[in-house]
Amino acid sequence: MSILVIAEHDNAGLKAATLNTLTAALLCGPDVHVLVAGHNAGAGATAAAQVAGVTKVLHSDAESLAHGIAENLCAQVEAIASGYSHILFAATATGKNVAPRLAALLDVAQISDITKVISADTFERPIYAGNAIATVQSSDAVKVITVRTTAFDPAAQSGQAAAVVEAIAAVAAPGGTRYIGSEIARNDRPELTAAKTIVSGGRAMGSQEKFDEVITPLADKLGAAIGASRAAVDAGYASNDLQVGQTGKIVAPQLYIAAGISGAIQHLAGMKDSKVIVAINKDPEAPIFGVADYGLVADLFTAVPEMVAAL
Amino acid sequence: MKILVAVKRVVDYNVKVRVKSDQTGVETANVKMSMNPFDEIAVEEAVLLKEKGVATEIVAVSCGVSQCQETLRTAMAIGADRAILVECNEELQPLAVAKLLQSLVAREQPAMVILGKQAIDDDCNQTGQMLAALARLPQVTFASKLDVADGMATVAREVDGGSETLQVTLPAVVTVDLRLNEPRYVTLPNIMKAKKKPLETLTPAALGVDVAPRLKTLKVSEPPVRSAGIKVPDVATLVAKLRTEAKVI
Amino acid sequence: MRYQAPLKDMLFAMQDLAGLSTVTALPGMEDYGQDTAQAVLEESAKFCEGVVAPLNWEGDKNPSSWKDRVVTTTPGFKEAFAQFAEGGWQGVIHPTEFGGQGLPKLVATPCAEMLHAASLSFALCPMLTDGAIEALLVAGSDELKNKFAAKLISGEWTGTMNLTEPQAGSDLAAVRARAEPQADGTYKVFGTKIFITYGEHDMTGNIVHLVLARVPGAPEGVKGISLFVVPKFLVNDDGSLGARNDAWCVSIEHKLGIKASPTAVLQFGDNGGAVGYLVGEENRGLEYMFIMMNAARFAVGMQGIAVADRAYQKAVTFARERVQSRDLAGSDGPVAIIHHPDVKRMLLTMRAHVEGARALAYVAAAISDVAHHAAEPAERASNQAVYEFLVPVVKGFSTEMSIEMASLGVQVHGGMGFIEETGAAQHYRDARILTIYEGTTAIQANDIVGRKTLRDKGVVAKALCGRIAMTEKDLAAHNDADCTAMRLALSQGRAALEESIDFILANGKSDAKAVYAGAVHYLKLAGLVLCGWQMARAMMIAQDRMAEDPAFFNAKVVTARFYADAVLPQAGALAQSIRQAGASTNRMSVDLF
Repeated sequence: MSILVIAEHDNAGLKAATLNTLTAALLCGPDVHVLVAGHNAGAGATAAAQVAGVTKVLHSDAESLAHGIAENLCAQVEAIASGYSHILFAATATGKNVAPRLAALLDVAQISDITKVISADTFERPIYAGNAIATVQSSDAVKVITVRTTAFDPAAQSGQAAAVVEAIAAVAAPGGTRYIGSEIARNDRPELTAAKTIVSGGRAMGSQEKFDEVITPLADKLGAAIGASRAAVDAGYASNDLQVGQTGKIVAPQLYIAAGISGAIQHLAGMKDSKVIVAINKDPEAPIFGVADYGLVADLFTAVPEMVAAL
Repeated sequence: MKILVAVKRVVDYNVKVRVKSDQTGVETANVKMSMNPFDEIAVEEAVLLKEKGVATEIVAVSCGVSQCQETLRTAMAIGADRAILVECNEELQPLAVAKLLQSLVAREQPAMVILGKQAIDDDCNQTGQMLAALARLPQVTFASKLDVADGMATVAREVDGGSETLQVTLPAVVTVDLRLNEPRYVTLPNIMKAKKKPLETLTPAALGVDVAPRLKTLKVSEPPVRSAGIKVPDVATLVAKLRTEAKVI
Repeated sequence: MRYQAPLKDMLFAMQDLAGLSTVTALPGMEDYGQDTAQAVLEESAKFCEGVVAPLNWEGDKNPSSWKDRVVTTTPGFKEAFAQFAEGGWQGVIHPTEFGGQGLPKLVATPCAEMLHAASLSFALCPMLTDGAIEALLVAGSDELKNKFAAKLISGEWTGTMNLTEPQAGSDLAAVRARAEPQADGTYKVFGTKIFITYGEHDMTGNIVHLVLARVPGAPEGVKGISLFVVPKFLVNDDGSLGARNDAWCVSIEHKLGIKASPTAVLQFGDNGGAVGYLVGEENRGLEYMFIMMNAARFAVGMQGIAVADRAYQKAVTFARERVQSRDLAGSDGPVAIIHHPDVKRMLLTMRAHVEGARALAYVAAAISDVAHHAAEPAERASNQAVYEFLVPVVKGFSTEMSIEMASLGVQVHGGMGFIEETGAAQHYRDARILTIYEGTTAIQANDIVGRKTLRDKGVVAKALCGRIAMTEKDLAAHNDADCTAMRLALSQGRAALEESIDFILANGKSDAKAVYAGAVHYLKLAGLVLCGWQMARAMMIAQDRMAEDPAFFNAKVVTARFYADAVLPQAGALAQSIRQAGASTNRMSVDLF
């Protein structure tokens, strides 16, 4: 039986999260298909066909699929679900939105946020904010899975001759849900969950102005994404899509710099798998120093600009 | 308009959980339990809708052991009008809970079901979506703003990189995210009033639902331990180490 | 680390030691069983931890201030008090007839403890308001109750207790404030009152002052004092606020601690006289005060337990994190100081005293509930007598120990403890007032000697010793090393207490000065032994229930054992000093100091 990955894409190609998901998919089985569902999503389909290990791409195109509306995407996947032993989504907002709905429609369990594929039916996933790892086994005929993208390397693009792209009919939209609009932060920064380097600020920043003033130059110098602790977001110093934590974004960059972040359990849950963690905090007892590879006890308002100058 | 709110009794978010030495699970005996924080936000939203005159009745539901009654009493102290406990001592996974909720939705016919987006114990983030599928209802997840008028809900939801707005016809399932509201502190008079509100106890068998778990937990283990780091005396040393030792810049 | 209400220990003390089920069996108390108590305590904890505790440090750094007769409280206090009122927490213990929740004292007491622990300064406002409410309900006319009680209970207004004057502190006979009767039945009040907690503030629309004053022709001394309601704003018949009354705050004090609590000098009648309403009958003011004084003294005792616990929690957190010196038993490198025996000793001392005092206070609260609600008058009376014996012990012992425990808290922190930013110093400074106000320790001691031991010839005191003896029998039946050690320590402690009771009874009249020289030690001895008694009971229950929660009950057994080993032995020394030191105290003539 084959493995199906539900791709996330924009008009230019595949989103990074899908590449990580493909790696997980290949660990489940050798015959991996990709569903690219969207509106004018041809570029996504082409890109998917070129990823190493993909044997087939299904391309469904319709206006109703333009915005990833759960009911519509779900109906589309349900229509082609038979014949697949595994259906994987990236554990993004979209994946988390759609996968459980699909699983219930297929009357199977859904396995959220897997961090390891042990075998075709056994997976590891974090529970209790990552303070414990559960190894779970599914006996359902179809495994519907969301993949924690930071736990898998991205599959190589342009690694093979293009696989077959098959156009499939778009399923009629169930109706009842209307897309009104979006407010997506547009900037040149790398996306938080895929960034190689992240610079995060905490409540010690004291204000939105200071947050931007202190964090931005360092992020710019390092080509980094910007993150924030929940406390900083709650205080209004950073927007909520920057929140790193158990219930925000889970990140695992090569380098995570936490400035003025104390390191509450919930924040650590979001970043403790980073390869290298740097903590800058003037409180030597701050819990963040317990996970930091390099800890600098200093006033961030002095240390961070100093670091920008030194780089 | 009737609203159904689902609440879960979980290990309190302040507790640092410990993995049992036999790796069968996490130590939960004698550990402080509370309402799942996202569910508090869900109940609060329902109560706000009632205070605005949009909702007329709020029914709180919980599935699990009999102590879930405490969680339901808290929901009623926040402002739910009555509660239903589906009592069950076995492990309940999201699909089973969704099926139990579906049978209650069929029974109660609410215009909206509000749930927290994820439970902080299993971190699954599935129940609301599954319920929507089973009940054939539209779903809006990770709601950060909710307006209800003329049989429709206009909802802003948190997505990667920002937010998007959807409009759904009711009845619908909404799961709530952190920034939707700030739950109120429960007042003493409302705690006492909640004791008199009706709490009905049902069972999965009575609802005709098979709640057998689908996923088998083979083991629960500690996460990999990071090796201890070092403190650096100044920025210059930090930059040097990141460059030459860690090689990340 | 933030303050966390110790709900497990509070519920244990309530249910297992104080007997919550006995209280809920009383007529009218059926609604307040375990589930309710737990729900109430949990929500109270959320509020105290989330809203009040974060303001404690702010209150110390940014105390209430006075300008042009107006007091501005610490930023955040006003909003917090509004939330407190909205939460219905002022009315916890007050009658439902006036909008309160009518909870038993046993359930209200942990709520008060948490509030005090969260911020002693903040909690003083509701505490004094409780006093004003009690005074009104005990002695006020229906008219006064209807006008003032409900709004005090709802937290819409606050209340103050105005007793002290520059020349009248412990000695209320010296009160000089006067009240002149007017034709319409009201009075005009003149005088200066000092040390008035929350005498002026910006948190509510009105403040209701309860004021002690003399009417013309009143008898000399304590039998000539009357009690008046003097509101900051007069209140119209429809409940709305009327004219500003002639009661003004002319200054607030700069204090060692509880800085955010505005301690006012109130001037009544500088501009023609403050309108006052007589509470009850003329010349019975002090009698009414004494009725509500039990509640006020008990509340201060709770303050002691609260601040000691707060200091303890902070000290434990620090001791776990601060790394200094190798382990005496051998270690690779330095360890957290909590591993060092002396630090453990300090922390255990704090813990043992907090748990013991908490247990005794909650037991007293339950006795008070029985005294109020039991069906049989005889049962009510006998419980009231025991409660009245315990009140000065709860106040005097818990407050004296709180200062010592807060000091230990500073000590655990080492040099950082002396630095204000660490926060340990604030608890030490805040605690210092507790042995002084609401009746100094000496006043409590005089009370326990004079009114509570001599007057009934030691009957209640000896009866309590009898109950301790029964616990010793239970300990003998348990027959393990811990219970044996506790039994021996407790019986020695009880013997010391009985010996001291006998000494007081024998010499109270013939050598009053010698006896009263030892009064504070007698009070401490009583507290030491009575708290030890509760720890003994706790030890046995913990052993019996060990399997249910090994971590909690094991800690309880060890803490109780420490109480037996390290705290109870002090009893003998106290008894000796009670017997002996009166003579040398008398011998030292005043001109030799």
